[in-house]
Amino acid sequence: MKKVIILLVVVSLVLSIQTAFAQVGELAFIEARQEFADNLTAVKNAVKANDWLLAQQNFDEAQKSWESDVKPMIVEGRKEEIEKARQAGIENPENEQGKLKEYSDRIGEIEENLNKIALLLQSKKDSEIEPTVNATIWAISHQPRGFDIPQRTYSVWDWVFGLGIGLGFCAFAIIAGLYLRRSYYRRYQRLGL
Amino acid sequence: MSSDLMIIVMYLALMFAAGVFFSRNIKNTADYFLAARSAPWFWIMGAVWATNIGFLHGYLAHGGAAYEWGVIQANFEWFQGPFGYVLTGLFFIAFYWRAGIFTVPHFLERRYGSGIRVIYSIAWLIFFIITIAAELYLGGLFLRRLIGLPFWPTVFVLTAVVGTYTLLGGLGAAIMMEFVQFVIMMLGTMPLLFILLNMTGGFEGIKDVLINQWHVSNQYFSVLPDNHHPYGPGPWIIMGQCFVVTIGWCAGHQSMVQRNLGARSLYDSKLGYVVAGVPKTLGAFLYVVPMLAAPIIFAQQGIFVEKADAAYGKLILNLLPAGMLGLFIAGLVSAGLSSISGVLNSSSTMVIKDVYERFLVKGKSDHHYFIAGRIATFGIIVASLLLVPVVARSPLIMWLEQTLLAILLGPFMGILILGIFWRRTNTSGSLIGYLVGSAFAIWYQQIWGQKVFFKISWWSFAVTLVVTVIASLLTKRPKEKKVEGITWESDFHAQVGAITEQRAETNGIQVSSMPDIKIIMPPWYLNLKYWATGILLAQLLLLFFFG
Repeated sequence: MKKVIILLVVVSLVLSIQTAFAQVGELAFIEARQEFADNLTAVKNAVKANDWLLAQQNFDEAQKSWESDVKPMIVEGRKEEIEKARQAGIENPENEQGKLKEYSDRIGEIEENLNKIALLLQSKKDSEIEPTVNATIWAISHQPRGFDIPQRTYSVWDWVFGLGIGLGFCAFAIIAGLYLRRSYYRRYQRLGL
Repeated sequence: MSSDLMIIVMYLALMFAAGVFFSRNIKNTADYFLAARSAPWFWIMGAVWATNIGFLHGYLAHGGAAYEWGVIQANFEWFQGPFGYVLTGLFFIAFYWRAGIFTVPHFLERRYGSGIRVIYSIAWLIFFIITIAAELYLGGLFLRRLIGLPFWPTVFVLTAVVGTYTLLGGLGAAIMMEFVQFVIMMLGTMPLLFILLNMTGGFEGIKDVLINQWHVSNQYFSVLPDNHHPYGPGPWIIMGQCFVVTIGWCAGHQSMVQRNLGARSLYDSKLGYVVAGVPKTLGAFLYVVPMLAAPIIFAQQGIFVEKADAAYGKLILNLLPAGMLGLFIAGLVSAGLSSISGVLNSSSTMVIKDVYERFLVKGKSDHHYFIAGRIATFGIIVASLLLVPVVARSPLIMWLEQTLLAILLGPFMGILILGIFWRRTNTSGSLIGYLVGSAFAIWYQQIWGQKVFFKISWWSFAVTLVVTVIASLLTKRPKEKKVEGITWESDFHAQVGAITEQRAETNGIQVSSMPDIKIIMPPWYLNLKYWATGILLAQLLLLFFFG
């Protein structure tokens, strides 16, 4: 018994430590993205207030945050995910879903938007800045995984499976209902209400 | 923000005062654990739904999953309505009620013996304590993120409010408070749907943007996706969820069943459970449908969302005006409190009735068990509070919760169905079937690596069913006396008098002074069959529109 308890404690500790490290990493990634998004929101607000100098300062902060924190975290993290998939023997590990894949896929879009915002700030085209900033914040946000699953398809097997469940349930309900009714009245006579 | 905070503080103070007020006149265990068996059907309806919906199994988690996967998340609301509440109300509740029991494990003991009772009650107790801790954690986290309240003081205040009225008033106070919270939840959180639909051009507007402009998969709008869907393959939703998980949840979840056992009559109990299918169906419009519009709002307004679980909070924080936000948060806090009070009261009932009174201290006075019930409630509050930091840090707890659910739902449904509908099922068969089914569920989930919960539930149910049948046939037939009164073929008509007398004695009424039983037909608008048919038809309509 003692050995089992010791083993359980050790397993719990190992799992907790692993998880704690993973959580710290996840938290840092969230905070870095939050800072990036906050700086971009500040750009938007400064442009609305017609304070172009402040807008430029905030944009510089956003750029810095992107280059020094967010992008490296995505790139390095994605490399680790691919490596893990490769070690697990998965074919085409680059296509393997991971927490960072969605952000990795959108790096090009984010950088294109950042370049566009830089040009817009120089030319002071305020009407286009807000939609571009919003698009960038959306690109760094977590987007629904349900967006990317394939369109609905049904194979012959699916039809057989589906119809089997439907018809099977109906047949089961009728047979079971009749059996239970019969067995009840066989045991107890009708009250005649 | 200060007006929002004011509303929340006023709400909590009101809940505290109302809870203490409702907790008067609690004198014995029937009052404390079964609300003196006096609750009318509409209290049962509100309490059952409010208990089921919390931070964990409601707004935040389901809202987050709806953001992530789309309409499919409505399965919990649109199939649980008919298949869980209606079928449990029509077929299972009567057996519990007639057996004159306090807890679901108590029913299992009546049918199968004490072995299953012990295993089942301990598994649920652990699950309940984790649930309370998780609800408190999510409540504290949610209020900190939304209006900047400090985490631990908020958790303590929430615990004090819900703990006080549940500890003092037992099930009666909990049911009444849950009914009040049901109304606040409905009124407080429903406006979000209309605000969002107005902003995005209605449901068709949302579909137009997501499908035509963003080229999102059409499965995002399907309540029954194809068999390859990673989150919930359609056929398995029907088999695992409709036939096993939801009925197992509704018929086996002590805090939901206990509300029905507190009804003033069997008809109120059945009607309350069936009609609870209405708010359950509407629940999808509170926290699933609004989340379909969320991606559009986030993209258009440049709102940063770090992960799916945060989506619901971000949405209301950025959309609702001051004052309305406070009312909305009061609605959400209601969800958390009602869920905690339900589970808390049920946990103490199980501790006292299934463990303390049954195995540890037998034959004491009713007052002794009543006081022990209050002490148990306090102990569970303390245990849950101590577990909050662990829940916050360790996924082991969440792993344990998922594993317990896999053990609790599929195998339980297997032995419950056989126990009620097949008299030949015996103690040895059920125990072997339950243990093999549970072991299979753990193996399938943890070693095989099955991620789709509905598949685990379905196959563990099927394994339990087969093993129980074989083991029962290989062992002795149960004695007729043991199964009479708690199986489908029992002669209930002959039992009505005995059960009524037993209940009257438990409630301290002189049997000789009881009037003759009169059969009164309910008015048409309270007819169980009409409600059940209407709710089932509504589900078919929803399936037609969102299938």
